[in-house]
Amino acid sequence: MRRLLLMLLLLPALWSGVPPAAPQRVVSQTVGTDDLLLALAAPGQIAALSHLAQDERYSPSFREARKHPHLANSDAEAVLRFRPDLVIATSYTEAEVLNLLRRAKVNLLILERYETLQDLYANARRIGKALGREARAEELIRQWQARVEALRVKLQGVKPVRVLAVGLYPFTAGAGTTFQDLCEHAGALNVAAEAGLKGHAPTPGEQVLSWRTEVLVAPGEPGFDMKARLLELPPYKFLPALKQGRLVELPGSLMAATSQARIDGYEQLARALHPERFK
Amino acid sequence: MKARTLGPTVLMTLLLAAAVLASLALGDSNLSPREILGALLHRDDSFASTILWDIRLPRTLVGVAVGAGLAASGVVMQAFFRNALASPGLLGVSSGGALGAVAWMAFGGGAASLFLLPVASIAGAFVATGAVMFLARRGASPEHLLLSGVALNALFGAGTSFVLGMTAGQYHMAGQILFWLMGGIENRSWEHVWMGLPGIVVFCVLLVPLGRSMNLLSLGETGAQSLGVDVKRLRGQLIVLSTVLTALATAVGGVIGFVGLVVPHLLRLAFGPEHRRLLLLSMLGGAAMVLLCDLPTRYMPSGMRLGVVTALAGGPFLLWLLRRRPC
Amino acid sequence: MLACEGLTLGPRLQDVSLHLEPGLTVAVVGPNGAGKSTLLQVLAGLLHAEGHIRWDGRELARIPFLERGRTLAWLGQESHAEFAFPVRDVVAQGRHAWGDDDAGVDDAMATLDLQDLARRPVTELSGGERRRVFLARALATQAPIQLWDEPTSNLDVRHSLEVMALAKRLAEAGGTLVVTLHDLRQAFRFDRVAVLDHGRLVGFGKPHEVLTKDLIRSVFRVEATFVESLVLELPEGSGSAL
Repeated sequence: MRRLLLMLLLLPALWSGVPPAAPQRVVSQTVGTDDLLLALAAPGQIAALSHLAQDERYSPSFREARKHPHLANSDAEAVLRFRPDLVIATSYTEAEVLNLLRRAKVNLLILERYETLQDLYANARRIGKALGREARAEELIRQWQARVEALRVKLQGVKPVRVLAVGLYPFTAGAGTTFQDLCEHAGALNVAAEAGLKGHAPTPGEQVLSWRTEVLVAPGEPGFDMKARLLELPPYKFLPALKQGRLVELPGSLMAATSQARIDGYEQLARALHPERFK
Repeated sequence: MKARTLGPTVLMTLLLAAAVLASLALGDSNLSPREILGALLHRDDSFASTILWDIRLPRTLVGVAVGAGLAASGVVMQAFFRNALASPGLLGVSSGGALGAVAWMAFGGGAASLFLLPVASIAGAFVATGAVMFLARRGASPEHLLLSGVALNALFGAGTSFVLGMTAGQYHMAGQILFWLMGGIENRSWEHVWMGLPGIVVFCVLLVPLGRSMNLLSLGETGAQSLGVDVKRLRGQLIVLSTVLTALATAVGGVIGFVGLVVPHLLRLAFGPEHRRLLLLSMLGGAAMVLLCDLPTRYMPSGMRLGVVTALAGGPFLLWLLRRRPC
Repeated sequence: MLACEGLTLGPRLQDVSLHLEPGLTVAVVGPNGAGKSTLLQVLAGLLHAEGHIRWDGRELARIPFLERGRTLAWLGQESHAEFAFPVRDVVAQGRHAWGDDDAGVDDAMATLDLQDLARRPVTELSGGERRRVFLARALATQAPIQLWDEPTSNLDVRHSLEVMALAKRLAEAGGTLVVTLHDLRQAFRFDRVAVLDHGRLVGFGKPHEVLTKDLIRSVFRVEATFVESLVLELPEGSGSAL
């Protein structure tokens, strides 16, 4: 009986004295969180990356991702196989998966917002805190801010180039997309947003001709002749910009990136649109 | 149980048991039978226990419910329309359920809508059911109901395509909608089990006593009536039971075709058309079929949905069987 | 006794009234579209018509379905079967209203010469064999009122004669038999004949009294001559076990 009382008295001490250990088996469930995890985690903290992590089409850090295992698919069971102590997901992960992970008592960190740079910095801080790597997070954020600022200075006073997001499917990106964010930081004006389109919307077949697009921006794939394909597709084939060859191809993964890879995207697009500022 | 029923029932039960075992054991991490037994008897925080109780068991139970419900509904449709090629989707109930679910996914909300999604599907299915019941109560013949089913399927299908087109630019949502339309029982939780299993079990149980009257109905309505069957009442009961089963199965499993057509058809060819036996065997067989078709989806790329597997499995098998014995 | 009064169903039946007594076989004849099948379905309670139908004084519409199943048996014109039930199972369906599966089923099968076909799927039989199966099903109900719509269609000569002999036997045992026929010559074997024309009852009584040359000419629009010709009968002392 006395031993029991003694143990009961010791319990609070056990609880408060020891700091929580940093997670050692972290899983990133979506391709959007792979980049952040790779940048912030300490060696050995990553258990697995998303199932698209090594896919060049979607993952900006596909090369670095090859050093780590990846999920077989996006199901809860695939995640649990790695026995994670922390799972990083986003708000567009399927609700059923999140529910099952919660049921299995897994620590979940869900990123709700990821559209702007401020969201990126906030996410980096959150993940850094969860990983026990706050210092690393602050250092990275400083680096990113420095790059963005340097780019802003380089592009100061430049006349924004009128651009339109194009691709093999007749959809374009309007206001409130990562493409819009890309344009704002690369000295470009998104004609689709100017015309009032929001989100990912079908490209209006006829109106698009009146938007006075100067340059087309498309996701390129190595070895794929995007220009030739676009010349076959209405309405793009009718655009003067395309006929005059004013097409910029960016890696598809950069055009859709919500992580720090977007800064690479800003830089690449800025160089392509304003080469004179980068001499 | 009569001799002619006992043998096949034992056979189908064994098949279902094997399918259940496989469904509990196989997946991204394979569990051995000993691990399964241990986890079933002793629920704790171990890896095997978590996988089994939180993931595999709900998934298996939903699969059983969906398979049994669709197959039973198929038996009813085939007896009702006196046609061995009838299926649960004929009256438009599953496409109503599809539209309800798709509309909810597109406009209703994100993560918060996890459990409202099956509810929305049931709501859509019941709109279709309401239309069917309205016609049936006014004494519409099976031929009329069939035509109205064609019209409802077209109408709801158009609505679903419209929603899909509108959300096509939102890739994640469009992907989820498309996956739902191809059927699947991955990531099912206990909430889905409670939503689907009790209702389906109850309605399946309610169906079995109608089997004897269904024997008569399946050889002709007028003849059945002359032998003492209240045909109008029976038709009403069959429609209600079949549409509810289809609605619940669609709500928790998405659109899964072929199970309701192939399972009753094959079992009838194998074991005869006596409906009490056929209902029981079809429920067991349908459950087994869904579970077995679910297994490949655990290993193959995400395009191989449950509805695709059931069609790929069911179609050729049916063709082969028909080649040997024209029915 | 099965009595009906003022049966009217659109243009198909107009004000038909009949009294059908037990112990008599009744043939219903008439040209195509005259309403023979319709009349039979109305009498069986399968179609709703204006007017009254009474069985021993009770309104047929008030009799619950199951009891109706024990009281009347109906054989339709079609004997189509979509599903491959074994023959014996189909015949046993006649016991549905009684709740048992077996009483009298073997007898009904023997009467219609179906013992050898007992296990065969009904979908594999010829048209005539299927007809006999459905007739056996009607017999198995042991209902006192038997309403048969063209029972001899598709049947060979021997089986046709047996069916009519069966009808006679059932009537002699106290049943009420109403049979529709195409062949007027067969009608002469029946105790009574009812003639329908465009939904109206234009004659009811003994065959020789009703089926006169004039009536046949006006209803069927053919010329009738009464001659001695080929007459087919069952051999003495034969006929199925019943």
